[in-house]
Order: sequence, then structure tokens, then C-alpha cells
Amino acid sequence: MAPGRPAQSPHDGGGGNTNRKRKDAPTNPQHNGPNKRPRQHIDQRQKMRIARTLSTQTTSTAFQNGALDVSSFVKSRAYEIQALENGLQRSKKALNERAFQQVPKELRRRTASHNVKRVPKRLRVRAGREMAVDNTPTVTARRRKPSGHMRLRLETVKKLRALGAKRKAEKDKPKDATTTELLPKDVQPGTVTTAIRTRIPKVKKSLLATPPVPKAKFRKRQIHKSWLPTHLYHAKRARMTAPSAPIWRYAVPLTPTAKSYRPTHRASHDRGAVAWDMSYMSTIQLEGRESSVLGMLKAIGVAEEDLSGRKSNKWRAGVRVLDAFLYERESPHELIAPVTMVWCVYDGTATVMEKRKRKMFLRVHPSAFYQLWEEMLRLAKVAKPAVSVEDLRFEIGSIEITGPGATEALLGALWPSSMASTSNDASDAAITGMDVDATSDHPRSESVGETWQKLAGLTNPALLPQNALLGFNVQDPRLHHPPRTIALLKSDAEQHKLLEISASWPVDAAQKACDIFDRKARHSASTSLPSQKAVNRRKGLAAPGEYPQALPKDPRVPVLLYSSSNATPTNSSKSRQSTAHNGSWTLLAPWKCLQPIWYSLMYYPLSTGQQPRFGGLDQKRQLAFEAGKPWFPGDFPGTKAGWNWECEDRRRRESEWRKRPRGKRVSYEKVELGGGKKGEVGVGWACDWERLLNVPPVIEEAALAGIEDIMDVDGPAEKAGDGTTPAEKAVEDNTKPAEQEKAKENILPLQATPKPPQLSQLSARQALALLASPEAKLPPHINLTSALVTVRLTLLTRGVPHPCARIYRLPTNDPDLRRQWLALLPSNLPHKKQKGSKHALPRLPKDASAHVVQQRLAQSLLEPPRAGEDKYPACPAEEDLVGFITTGNYDLGEGQGTGIGSLLVDRVRDGGAESNVYIVRNAGTGLGRLARWEVA
Amino acid sequence: MVRIKHRYLLINILYPDPKSTSGRPATKPGDEVPYTVQFRRPSPDRMDGGVLTRLIRDGVAELYGDYGSGKVAGSLQVKYFSQATSTAIVRVSRDYYRLVWAALTFATRLPNPVGQSCVIQVVRVSGTIRKSEEEAIRRARLSIRRAEAAAKSSNAATAGLAAATPQLLSTEDDDADMINGIEDPDDPRDIEEDLDDDEG
Repeated sequence: MAPGRPAQSPHDGGGGNTNRKRKDAPTNPQHNGPNKRPRQHIDQRQKMRIARTLSTQTTSTAFQNGALDVSSFVKSRAYEIQALENGLQRSKKALNERAFQQVPKELRRRTASHNVKRVPKRLRVRAGREMAVDNTPTVTARRRKPSGHMRLRLETVKKLRALGAKRKAEKDKPKDATTTELLPKDVQPGTVTTAIRTRIPKVKKSLLATPPVPKAKFRKRQIHKSWLPTHLYHAKRARMTAPSAPIWRYAVPLTPTAKSYRPTHRASHDRGAVAWDMSYMSTIQLEGRESSVLGMLKAIGVAEEDLSGRKSNKWRAGVRVLDAFLYERESPHELIAPVTMVWCVYDGTATVMEKRKRKMFLRVHPSAFYQLWEEMLRLAKVAKPAVSVEDLRFEIGSIEITGPGATEALLGALWPSSMASTSNDASDAAITGMDVDATSDHPRSESVGETWQKLAGLTNPALLPQNALLGFNVQDPRLHHPPRTIALLKSDAEQHKLLEISASWPVDAAQKACDIFDRKARHSASTSLPSQKAVNRRKGLAAPGEYPQALPKDPRVPVLLYSSSNATPTNSSKSRQSTAHNGSWTLLAPWKCLQPIWYSLMYYPLSTGQQPRFGGLDQKRQLAFEAGKPWFPGDFPGTKAGWNWECEDRRRRESEWRKRPRGKRVSYEKVELGGGKKGEVGVGWACDWERLLNVPPVIEEAALAGIEDIMDVDGPAEKAGDGTTPAEKAVEDNTKPAEQEKAKENILPLQATPKPPQLSQLSARQALALLASPEAKLPPHINLTSALVTVRLTLLTRGVPHPCARIYRLPTNDPDLRRQWLALLPSNLPHKKQKGSKHALPRLPKDASAHVVQQRLAQSLLEPPRAGEDKYPACPAEEDLVGFITTGNYDLGEGQGTGIGSLLVDRVRDGGAESNVYIVRNAGTGLGRLARWEVA
Repeated sequence: MVRIKHRYLLINILYPDPKSTSGRPATKPGDEVPYTVQFRRPSPDRMDGGVLTRLIRDGVAELYGDYGSGKVAGSLQVKYFSQATSTAIVRVSRDYYRLVWAALTFATRLPNPVGQSCVIQVVRVSGTIRKSEEEAIRRARLSIRRAEAAAKSSNAATAGLAAATPQLLSTEDDDADMINGIEDPDDPRDIEEDLDDDEG
């Protein structure tokens, strides 16, 4: 308060008037008559001043008769405290914060700033007041006057509609006439229509699936790509792939628009759930005699113990899924991709295993789909008896969901169909072949659905048997939308029951052939989904607060759920053991039924608060990285898909690097590698496997010649560089005329495509066997000199590895340098177990006595050299380069930098002692860091 | 654009001369006022922010002449002055807050309409008014706690001892953390207590 003013508490009308969005035009005070502004207008500065003045008490009011006593002393201080606190509050509120800005970050919408109805209810009144003050009326889209371009479009739509209606009327008219004439008079029209049945098109197998024809409105946008079933949801909330650059021919969400690195980590580890629409994962169906399918799998590299061993009995019975690496059949037996395989439970009567006709799903990443597809086709042709191969890419969609709330959210969305309707349904569809016959024998999904509902309270699917599977039918999720929080376990007895279920796992016995393997069931589920209008009507008829009753005619959506745990196959790492393995659920459902399931999942109110988050490709990679698992294709550069990914990444990194001005980008040619060496090893923005294998970089001869001609303009000085190859030269300089730029653009894709032929990837199993005993038997085709093994690296000191970081082994030819590096090992340091930061000496207490301080001083003199000091050991030479980091970052779970990379297995084997301690150096820096690796 | 930076000085005004001050101790013999309360007397009614501004301006002019008063004049403002507690917050530009501080320290007497001897303590210099307000709150809490503790102990003392000596005793008791009548601003005990309060 201005000192002279009498004591008064400035009053602020709820903060509403202070926050104005639309500023008033400056008004001329002379012309501002009384009739112009009916409302008294106080400007912002004055508002601020009032908000900031503090009320005070005069001495005469505080102390009666000026007498000093304790109680009035205390009262006067209390008054002061009150006044100051009020002032702090008021001045904070007086800042320009509007109602919609008070909403939590993840709930903020741009529309909320000009539509009161978008603001949460508790803020709506205040927001309305603010809008009224600003004289900005809320306009709804419905009442908005269409303007400009929009008006034109609406007119066109109107015309087209009229045209369509006219045509339809014409089309309908003569038809009615003919049918009535054709029909015999005494027959009801309804019976006749059932007699005429359209021919069911024969399913064409061994053909690539065509994407579903989108609505006319969206057709033009899906010419070169397909949308996921939940595209509209994601397009509003996530950064998608650029329209011109789809990934794997899909428009894939890359990352949510809201900041989500930490929230994703928290949701997946501590509280909440993260879900992905994984419909881009491709599904291939094999159908045929069990023995010939098994034969195919054997040819494609599934291990013998999985095909016939006792351990995988359950997989073959169809109650577990199997994750395996598949290889090409022909030499050089390249790794194709990790594939998930699911058998359909056999419901038939044949007892001899060989004679059973069964179905199987192979789920593979789209980047490796075509490779696997070709391979399967080739194998199916030679298989005897024949196996049919079917592409189910746009028929089966999938959702993956992880985190402690994942099971709960799924339970809220998936309501098993009641079994009463089963018999009806089966008799309805009794015309068709053996699959449906099988249905009528057993009431399906009876106990599987029930078991599923008993899983309430499960926070980690890894508790269930590994790779457990549940196949059942669910109701239309829209009937139960919006979802409500399910009842969770309360008593110990219930908890105990859950444990019992997960131990005995009754699904193994109860699982019948899942409907999702049945084309007809899939089709009928997708086509018979009622319209939203019909669903709404049913919901309206239901009693308030109740869900509508299930009807026997309701569509039954077949789903297949399986859990996968993040446990690494090695299980060797101690640090991994400590962090809980968080399992995840994968849900397969018919493509067209996926969207309603997704919405129910996304709006499920979790018992721990909030709703499940959704993730994009980046979140998928992040969580795989935090689990210490390699992500296909990015972390498998030895596969074809992985190589393509790497090339794409290279191009992206290069263009990013090029975009920056010279002074502000890493100049790779000037990186000091220690020992007088200068210049980055290989290309700085790439995991330069060619350089590692000593393969000359692949560039088409003609294109190279073209570039060379242009390069001559730059003069000979640059040409006689420090031993860089022409290819590097070609991409080194960006200060060139436009034509050269053009030439370079032409050359880039050429440079990227071919993969070095020898490069191959070992699976974790092979690599472990090889590393355990050097003489281990390996398939003869594997070229050891260029086989890669995927590893996980944990830095032992400080630092964070980035993608493209170089991995060196400890120096082999320089014993002195090797000793220096080994001296840095934390286990070799004098002070071993220490609390707090592992990177420095433990902190001394404040009142440490003199001798302790002195001791510390002596200790710090013995400290190994820190990074950046002169004594810090230099990086090993290029002969010790063994691999590259493909994913690296600060790991929120571990609290330190970790990375996933690939090593050349040949250079790794002869390690001796300290064989798992390596040195990691980020591309573009000269500083190495010690790291320990293990097979991932 | 560069922000104009200020410093906010949190000030306590003390009135060492009991005779001339407005707040006289109560005359009744039974309830003696503890020393902490006597130490922080309220300001007279005539004293207000304007008088304080004048005091500072005159002081700066006296110590640093035209140069000083010119440097300070543009930014000097009394943001808050409470008579009942004799607390004030004064704003000055960051570069010259030392001139104001010096003027405050050298002030021995309030200017004319009040005309009373005084001591001015600068207890906190901060970059934002928010922090100085928080400090003022902290100090007010502290003095309330002290006054209450002192009142309690003095009551106990009066109950136990003869009426002649309580004042002496109580001063010894409750102002143990005063050194020569000046309160140690960063007495560790007080700060710890305060932290506890914040957490609770």
C-alpha cells in the first residue's frame, strides 16, 4: 500500500476482471464521454498496483492508548503476516493467467481458449466471465458462418448430395417395379430375398492384401500409405509421419504432441499405462497339416527344441506364443526378423498329430514383412502336403499396452460376450465349414472370458505364465462407453485367488480355438457392428447409470490377448534383476473393431488416477531401451530391415548436420582422437559399418564419376585431404553452387541402398553360445569376421552415449594405455563402496574434523584423472574399433547413461580378463568412457 | 530488452530511547513487558512512508552529495511501511542500493514532524519483493514466538519470585540469543525452527 493511504484491503473480484486477453484500443480521454463506457474500466496497470499494495495497521489502532503489551504486539505481527501473505497471493493471481491456463498441461486444448465449453466445469464460470469481459463470444462450429473457401466447398457438397439423391431415386425406382412383377403373388417378398444369396467370393490366398478402401473423403490422402484404424485419434494428438514420408507405408504416430519422455517412463514403471496402436505389425497366416507347417518353420530357422521339445508343448498346443528369430532359407541364411508365432488350438477330432489341419499366425514387423512373405511363399510351394499362406495385414489390428494399469484398463474395455448367445450365433452361421461346426460343439470362451475377468488387480502381466495367451470374444465396447473404473481386489483372500489363478492358469485347459483365426467370425464382427446411432439409442433405453443389456444378436468381437515380459533372454545382468520386469499385453482384434476398443481403452479412468497414455514410435523405442532390449529394426543393423533403417537415419542425421551453419556444427574432420590422430573414424553421422568391415563405401560408379567432375571445381587443395574417400568428400562441403547440390541429392539414395553382403546379425542365443566357448558349433554359413552381436552397454563412470557412438575394446597393442584405462575402473579405485554419486569422492559432512579433511585431500590426489584433464587416457586406435551404439541415452530407470549397440563378434571373442570392459566414444568428441557390456 | 533491476531492502526501525517513544510500557506493576516486545516498538502515528523517503533522501544527500541523491532519486520507493510493527520495504536500483543502506545505517533521528531518535536495521537485501516479503513474514513469526515464550516465562517468574526482580530475570531468560541487544539474524536454532514450520 502506498504509505499515506488509509488501511484497507484491496478487493479483487475473483481475478476475472484482471486477466484480459483482448486489449482495448487506446482511447482518447477527451472524447471519452460518460455514455461511451457504461462499465467502469480499470486498466491493467492499476489492477496490478492494487493487487500489489499491502494493507497496514497504524499504531493507534494496533495499540490502545499507545500502551505496549504482549497481546497487541502479537496481534500486530499476526496482522502483518496476514497482510503479506495476502499480498503474495494476490500478486500471483494478478499475473495474466486465464481460466484455461489453469488446466493441467495434458488437458490444455487450443480450442479451450476461445470456447468456454472446452474448459473443465469448475473453471467454466470464470472462463465465461473472462470471455464476457473480453467481448469475445463463444462461437460453436455449428453456428459459425462459413467463410471464403469453406462456403465454396459446402456448396459443392450440397450439389453433389442432391445429385446423388437423384441418382439413387432413379436407381431404386425401376428395380422395385421389376421385383414386384417377377415375384409370384402368393409368396412373401422376405422369403425370396433369403433364397437369393450372393456368391461368397473365394478367398485368394498367397496374394498380398490390399488396404481397405477408405471413405471418399479420406481416399486421396491414403494413396501411398494406409492409415491405422485409430488414425483420427492420433492425428489430433500426436506428431505423425510427414504425409510425403510414411514409414513402412503407414501413417504412424511418432510421438505425442505433449511432452512425454518422463511421463511415459513413469506411466510404464510406476503408475498408469501406455498404449500403442500397433496395427502396422503384419500378420501372416499359415494353414495346413501341422507337420508340414512345422517343417516350414524348421527350414526358416526355428530352433529344434522349440519345434519338438517338451518345453514348447504348450506353444504347439496353442496356449502360448513363441518369439523366435527367423532366417532366410537360402545361404547366407540372413536374419530376417524376430517373429511372434501363435498356433490356433486344435478343436478337431484327428488324433494323429501329422494329420491335423491347423492354423498359425506369424506376426512380424512391417519392415521385414515382405522378406518373410517371399520366404514363406517359396517354402509353401515346396511343402507337402500343401500349406496355404495368407496375408492378414489389413484384417487384424493390434494394440499393445504396458504399465501397472494395463490389465485394469483392458479389463475396463473388454467385456467378454456372455455365453448364452453362443448357441444362437452358432446355429445362425451353421452353413459354413468345419470351423463353425467346431463352435457348436463347445460353448466358446466360457471360462477363458471368466478367467480374464478374474485378473482384476493384476499389475504386471509378467506374473502370469510367460507368453500366456487368452482368446475369447468380447462385446461391442461402445455399449460400455464411457468406461468406469472396475472393482479392484480388496481383501487378502482375493489377492490369494489371483495368485492361485496365475499359478494354475486354468486357461491352458479351457482355451478353445480362438475365433480370430476364423475369417468368417472376423468378418461378421466387423460388418455387424451397429452404428453409433443405434448404440446411442440402446444406451438411452437403459436405466440411468446402467449399461444396456447384452442381446443375443450382439456382435461378438474375437480378440486374442497375449502377454510378453520384458525379461531379456540372458538374464545375466544384476541391475536388470533389481528393476521389475514390466510385462505388456498385446491385443489382436479385427482391423475394423480396433477403433472402438482403442477409445474405451484411452478413456478408461484408472484406479490410480488419470487415464492410460498413448505412445508413438519414439515411446516404443524408449521403453525398449529402458528395458535393455534391442528394438527391431533399429538395433539390428545386420538385417535387411535394420540396414534400411540405419540408412534412413544416416540421411536424416546428415541433413540435420548440413542444415546448420559451419561454425555451429560439429566439424568431424577436426575431432582429436588422441595420440596425434585427427578426424572422426568413418562418417560422423553414421554407424559406419562399412568402415568397420573395411568395405569400400558403395556408390554407383557413374554417379561417383559425375560427382568427381563437379568436385574438381573446388580445387586440388581439398582433394588432397587426410585420406578421406571420395564418397566422404562428396558429402563434405556444402558451400557449393546449386547444381552441385542437385547432383548430391541424386547421389544420396544410391549411396544408401546396398547392404554390405557379409554383414550378418547373430541372435542372442547364438552369440551367448559363441562367447561361452570359442569352439561352439555355429551354422557353417555364418561368416564370423562380419557377424554382429547386439549388446547392452552400461557406462561405468560418467557420460551418456549417443547413437553412432564408437565402441572400442581396451587397447591391444599399447599396454601402457591399457593400464591407464584399467586404472579408471571403479572397482580398481581405493574407495570402493560409496554412497551418493559414483563419479566423485563421497561428500564430507559439514563438521568434518581436520584430519578427515586432510585425509580427503590425500585421497583426492590419488583420484584417477578426470575427463578433460591432460592425464586422461586417449582413445584407442582404429584397430580396436569393434562396433557402434545404435541407441543411447540417459536411462531414467538406471539413473545413468546406457546404450544398445552392435559389436563385431570376431573382435570381441579374444578378450581375456576384463573382456567385458569396453570404451565408448561419442561421434564428434575425443573423449572415451569406460563401459561394461552384456549380450542383449 | 534489458530488465531494470532493483534491490529491495527489508528494514526494521528500533526506538532505543524509551522516554520519547509512543509505545510506553504498561504502567501496571503486575504485567511487565518482556524485553523482546520493548525492543521492537511501534512507530509513532506521524511516521509514514513519506517521512522514511525523506529521511533516506536527506541522508544520501548528506553523505554522497548531489551525485548520490541523483543516482538514488529515480528508483527510490517505499513499497511497504507498517507503523504497528516498524517494518518497511524500500526499493532502490540495484547499482546504488549501498548508498541507501549507508544512509539508513547512519540515520540516528527521524526527521522533523516526528523528531525522535532511532536505529535502523537493514535485515535483508533481496532481488525480488517476494523474497523480502517472505523474510518479513518469517521474522514476524519469529518475534511472535519469542514474545509468547517470554511472556510465559515471565509469568512463571512472577509467580515464583518477588515482584521486584522479574524484569531482570526475564530479560536474561528470553533474550539469550541477543548479543548486546542486537539480535543475531541467523541464529541456527531459529532457522531450524522456521524450516520445521515450513515443512509442517
